[in-house]
Amino acid sequence: MIDELRKQLDEGSVTSEELFEEAVKSAKEVQDTYNPFVTILDKYKIRRRANSILTGIPYTLKDNISTSNILTTASSNILKDYVPVYDATVYQKLKKAGAVLVGKTTLDELAMGGTGTTAATGVVRNPWNSNCLIGGSSAGSAVSVALGIVPFSIGSDTGDSIRKPASFGGVVGFKPTYGRISRYGLFAFASSLDHVGVFTRSVRDAAIVTDIIKGYDAKDMTSLKDEDKSYTDELEKPLTHKKLCYIKEICDINQYNDPKVIETLRKFHDFIDKCRNQGFTVDEVSFDKVLLDAIYPTYMIISCAEATSNNANLTGIQFGPRGDGNSIDEVMFSARTKGFSELIKRRFVLGSYILQKENQEKLFLNACRCRRLIVDRVNELFKDYDGIILPASGGGAPSFDSSSEQVTDQQLILENHMAIGNFGGFPSITIPFTFVKDMPVGINITGRVMEDDILLHIANEVEKITGLRGLKVGDRHV
Amino acid sequence: MIEKEKLKEYAHKLMFDMKDEEYETLQKEFDVILKQMEAIDKIPNLHEVSPMTFPFLLDDRSLREDEVGDYLTVGEVLSNAKHQVNDQVKVPKVVEE
Repeated sequence: MIDELRKQLDEGSVTSEELFEEAVKSAKEVQDTYNPFVTILDKYKIRRRANSILTGIPYTLKDNISTSNILTTASSNILKDYVPVYDATVYQKLKKAGAVLVGKTTLDELAMGGTGTTAATGVVRNPWNSNCLIGGSSAGSAVSVALGIVPFSIGSDTGDSIRKPASFGGVVGFKPTYGRISRYGLFAFASSLDHVGVFTRSVRDAAIVTDIIKGYDAKDMTSLKDEDKSYTDELEKPLTHKKLCYIKEICDINQYNDPKVIETLRKFHDFIDKCRNQGFTVDEVSFDKVLLDAIYPTYMIISCAEATSNNANLTGIQFGPRGDGNSIDEVMFSARTKGFSELIKRRFVLGSYILQKENQEKLFLNACRCRRLIVDRVNELFKDYDGIILPASGGGAPSFDSSSEQVTDQQLILENHMAIGNFGGFPSITIPFTFVKDMPVGINITGRVMEDDILLHIANEVEKITGLRGLKVGDRHV
Repeated sequence: MIEKEKLKEYAHKLMFDMKDEEYETLQKEFDVILKQMEAIDKIPNLHEVSPMTFPFLLDDRSLREDEVGDYLTVGEVLSNAKHQVNDQVKVPKVVEE
């Protein structure tokens, strides 16, 4: 993890070049089995005068984050040869800090998916069990950290695209408050829901990396003002915010039949008891079931509608493979027909349907109204509680065979509730807390907006209770 | 069930086409998704709520100063375009002769 690597680098027991070479070697070794990378870099590059805690430390970036002179495809054929000419702010900050990029990671095409199975370069597999999916969309980022190739990776999260693969991969996944990390240079999926965030193997590492990449950016109109605070330093202070709640309508075991879900929830409730024993107050609260049922459709409507509009720039004319035809329209039509996969097209058509004049009120605007009601209710809970704690998923990663199985309406809520964090821009973190059928499962904690430091602080204490800090594939577990 | 022709129309508006069997899959998917979307209709008095388009109200936004910042050279802008002529992106003729 970062502190250990920092120590080794400072003592001179290892050099940054050696760490890079080792990471590249491991990346190449695992690529055929798990497919986490779109690009593995072959040249060591570091800013010479950098001096930060991350100087010399290797990391990976999701392939929908712009890196000048490095191929950036968003795992889509429509960008298969796109080499950006500018840096995303998050990449620039990491370069300035002296962190060393090892590779660009595979994602669900254009970040629109939650399985890690839809990249143009193929399926990403779970390193805990290669017959299982890793989840997405930040699939390769989760794998690169879970395997210990790098201590951290940068991903993006529109519905749970960091926090779900973190759960399935047994790593920490954190997205801070909306606007805390600049989105400049992140390929937009659904702008009102998109966040940049981090994968690490400890909460402390998540705080360290976020301290480096957060901050106001004039190039992102939704960027938040700077705060005079180090999240890492805050972790050292005594925690005074220890009041958590979980939602009864999601966590009540009696409403589920699936044995995997039942085992997960049993372990969740046992874990909540442990948190109580360690001084946390954890209450059961009620959340209007009608609103919970509406989370998934609200997410689908808003994200597909925004995506349809955001991806209109992918024409194959200024960049991307050129289409055939005798007019501009024909050229674009052909490029988009060939460039997008079937799944992406289906999502876009849904977005188009939602945005038709006759459907806007009933679908799009009603989803936006529903979003407000959900966020209002969460903010109401935050008047009494410092955080909401829930299982990140109803079990470990599904196998490829079972991923098309029908889920019940109840499971649909359990599997999609983390979109609440995107609706309200709340800081939200997933940390590994248990194993179910030999696969890791994460616990998710969501906090008040602008209180990223408090959320990380809570998560850091909760992590101590899990005993899984620093978990890596291959570690023994109970 | 939503008509296949309608789906085709929506796809074409977005400047792409799909295979026939893909439209059929989409038709079935629409059925499921539209049913899921009915969950929103069950919320009482929804029309009284103001739509939320961003996570929270952003603090006082003001326009930045109109100063020259970083910019790309013509060469950089064109570096990803497949067809170029005279420092511009070349496309099929728009005006008929």
